[in-house]
Amino acid sequence: MTAEPTADRLTGGVAQSVAIVAGLEIGGAALLRLFLLSEKTWIVVALLAVFGAAFAVLQLRPRLEERIATAFRQSRLVALLLGFAIVLVYPFLMQGSSYALHLLITAQLYAVLALALNFQLGSANIPNFATAASYGIGAYSSALLAINFGISVWLTLPVAAVVATVFGFVLGFPAMRTRDTYLALVTLAFGIVIHQLLNNFTWTGGPNGLAGIPAPTILGHSFNSPIYLLGYRLPSQANFYYLAAALVALAIVCARLLHHSRVGLAWNALRSNELAARCQGINVVWYKMLAFGVDAFLAAFAGSIYAFYVSYIAPDNFTFLVSVTIMTMVIVGGMDNTFGVIVGAFLLVLLPEKLRIFDDYRLLFVGVIVILFLLLRPQGLFPQRPRSFGDH
Amino acid sequence: MDLLLSQHLLNWLLQGSILALVALGFSLLFGVLNVIHFSHGDVSIVGPFVALAVMQILLVEILPHTWASALILAAIVAIVATGCLGVLVDWLVVRRFRTAPAMMALVATVALGAIIRELIRMLYPQGSNPQPFPELISAQLEFGKLSVPISTLFMFAVSVLMVAGLYVIMHRTPLGIRIRAVAQDRDIARLMGIHPNRIFAATFFIASAVGAIGGIFYASSAGVIRFDFGIQFGLIGFSAAVIGGLGSMHGAIIGSFVLAAIDTVAQATLADGAAYRLVFAFLLVILVLVLRPSGLFGKPILEKV
Repeated sequence: MTAEPTADRLTGGVAQSVAIVAGLEIGGAALLRLFLLSEKTWIVVALLAVFGAAFAVLQLRPRLEERIATAFRQSRLVALLLGFAIVLVYPFLMQGSSYALHLLITAQLYAVLALALNFQLGSANIPNFATAASYGIGAYSSALLAINFGISVWLTLPVAAVVATVFGFVLGFPAMRTRDTYLALVTLAFGIVIHQLLNNFTWTGGPNGLAGIPAPTILGHSFNSPIYLLGYRLPSQANFYYLAAALVALAIVCARLLHHSRVGLAWNALRSNELAARCQGINVVWYKMLAFGVDAFLAAFAGSIYAFYVSYIAPDNFTFLVSVTIMTMVIVGGMDNTFGVIVGAFLLVLLPEKLRIFDDYRLLFVGVIVILFLLLRPQGLFPQRPRSFGDH
Repeated sequence: MDLLLSQHLLNWLLQGSILALVALGFSLLFGVLNVIHFSHGDVSIVGPFVALAVMQILLVEILPHTWASALILAAIVAIVATGCLGVLVDWLVVRRFRTAPAMMALVATVALGAIIRELIRMLYPQGSNPQPFPELISAQLEFGKLSVPISTLFMFAVSVLMVAGLYVIMHRTPLGIRIRAVAQDRDIARLMGIHPNRIFAATFFIASAVGAIGGIFYASSAGVIRFDFGIQFGLIGFSAAVIGGLGSMHGAIIGSFVLAAIDTVAQATLADGAAYRLVFAFLLVILVLVLRPSGLFGKPILEKV
C-alpha cells in the first residue's frame, strides 16, 4: 500500500465488491475444475498462461490488487459463504472422477502442511527442514493406535497431534542454543533421524511401512464407501475431500487468529530483528518453541488424515525431500501470506501431476522451477501484505 | 594384535579418509562462501561416473589391455571435469545467491542436487541402474594372518597427500592467502584488489576436485555406483564437517574420523548397526550443534549489539 488512495476510491460500491468477489471465486473454481479434468496437455499449458497473465496484470496494476483486497474485506460474509458453498458442491462437479478428487485431497493436505510451516518460515523466519518428520510422526501415531489398539480414528487424531507437538517442542529445544543456518541443520538432522528410525524399527514395519490402516466411520458411514446424495453418487474419495477441506479451514482459521494476535506480532518481530525483539521484552525462546509446536500440531493432523486416506504408509513418504517440497511451496506462494501459501501448495502438487508427458523429466523440472523462482521472485507469488490495523 | 580389531581399524581408516575428502569440500566452501553447498555430494558423485565413462571408452576404443594407465587417465579426467562442474554450478546458481538469505541458498542447492542426480540418470547409459565400479588395486599385503588390501593403504595415503596439499595451497600460496582473505572479509579483500568471484570459482574447483577423488574412492570401496548415491554420501560427509565445525579444515578431518569411528563401532557391536549409521551420525550432529553450536573446532559465533 504505497500511495494512500482517497476514501472514495478505496471503498467503491458494495454491490461492485460483491460482484468482484463472486466473479473471482466462481471464475477461480471453474478454471481449477477445467485444469483438474483436462486430459490434454495444451489445455494445461493454456490455463497456466491464463494464470500467468492474470498474475502479470496484478503486478502491472497494483491498484487492481488493492481493489480486490478491499472488495474481499468489504463483503467478507459473502466471500466466506460463497467459498463455503463452492467447496461443498465441488465434488459434484468432478464428473465422478476419483482421480481429480485424489489430486484435490493431496493438494489440500499439502496446503495444510505448507500453512503449518508458514508459521515458522514465513512468520518467524525459522528454517525448519523437519515438517515431513512431524507429518510422519502424526501419520504413524494414528496408524499404530488404530491398528494395534483399535482406537477410533476420531480419538487418534488429537492423540497424534499431541504426540507430534511434544516432538515439536523437543525439536524446538535446541532453538535456545542455535540460530539461522545451524538451527536449519538441527531440524534437518532431526528429520533424517526420524526417517531412519521409522525405517529401522520393527514395530513401525521397517521400510515396508504399515498397511491395512482402517478407514474412519461416522454415524455408521464408512469413509471407504461412496456417498449417495440426491440421486448423485460421489466416489469414496469425496469423504476424505470434505475431511481435508475441514482441516484446511481449521488451518486457515489458526493462521488468521495467530497472525492477528500478539503471537503473530512477536513472530514477525523475531523475523525482522531477533535482538531488537529481545530488547522489547519478547521471550524469544518461548515464541520460537511455540512456532515449532504449532507447526508440528497442524502437520500431525495432515499426517493422520493422509494415513487413513491411503491406508498404507511407508517411511519414504516422509523424507527430507518432502520437507524441501513443503518449504518450496511456502517460498513459491509467498512468505506469511495465507492465500499465497495455499496457491503455492496447489501449484506444486497439481503441476507435476498434470505434466505427465514430462514424466521422465519431472524431478528435473521441479528442481529448475524452484531455482528459477528463488532467483527471479524470492518473495514468492504473493508477498506478505502490510498489516492494517483498525478496520477489522 | 587381535585380528578382528585390526580389520575394524582398517575399515575405520578407509571410511575416515573417504569421508574427510568430501567433508573438506563442505567445510572449505562454507568457510569461504558462508553458504552450505548442499549439492556437494552430488557434484562429487559425478566424478566416478565420468571416470567410468572415460575408462570404458579408453579400454574399448583406444588403448586396450592398458588397465593401469587407463585408470590413471580416467581418474585425472574425472577430477578435472568434476572441478569444472563445481565452477559451473557456482557460476550458474550459487553465485546468484551471494546476497540472499542463507536459507534461500540452502534450498536452491538442494534443488540443484536433485537436478544433478536427474541429469546423471538421464545422460549416463542405463543411468537408473547401479553401475559396477572396479577396485583400484586388487592386491593384498599379507602380514601373517592379517591381509591388508593395498587399495586401503593407497586411499589413506592419497587422502593424507590431498590434505597436506590443501594445507600448502591454503597457507603457502598466493591463491590460498587470497582465499583466506575473502573468507575473512569479502569487502576488505576486494579493496585489496582481490576479485572475490574468481576466488569463489577457484574454491569451487578445489572443493569439487577433492570431492571427486572422495567419490571415486567411495565408489571403488563399495564396488558399485548409482545416480542417487550422492544423497547419502553428501549427508554423511556434511555431518562430518558439521561435527568438526564448518569452515575449519582440521575440524572436518577430525569430524570425519570421529564419525567413521562411531560407524565402525556400531557395525562391530550392534547386530544391525549398519542400518543405524545415519541415526548415530545425525544424533551426534544434533548433540554437537546444541552443546557447541559452531562445531568442535569452528569459530564461535559472536553477536554484535
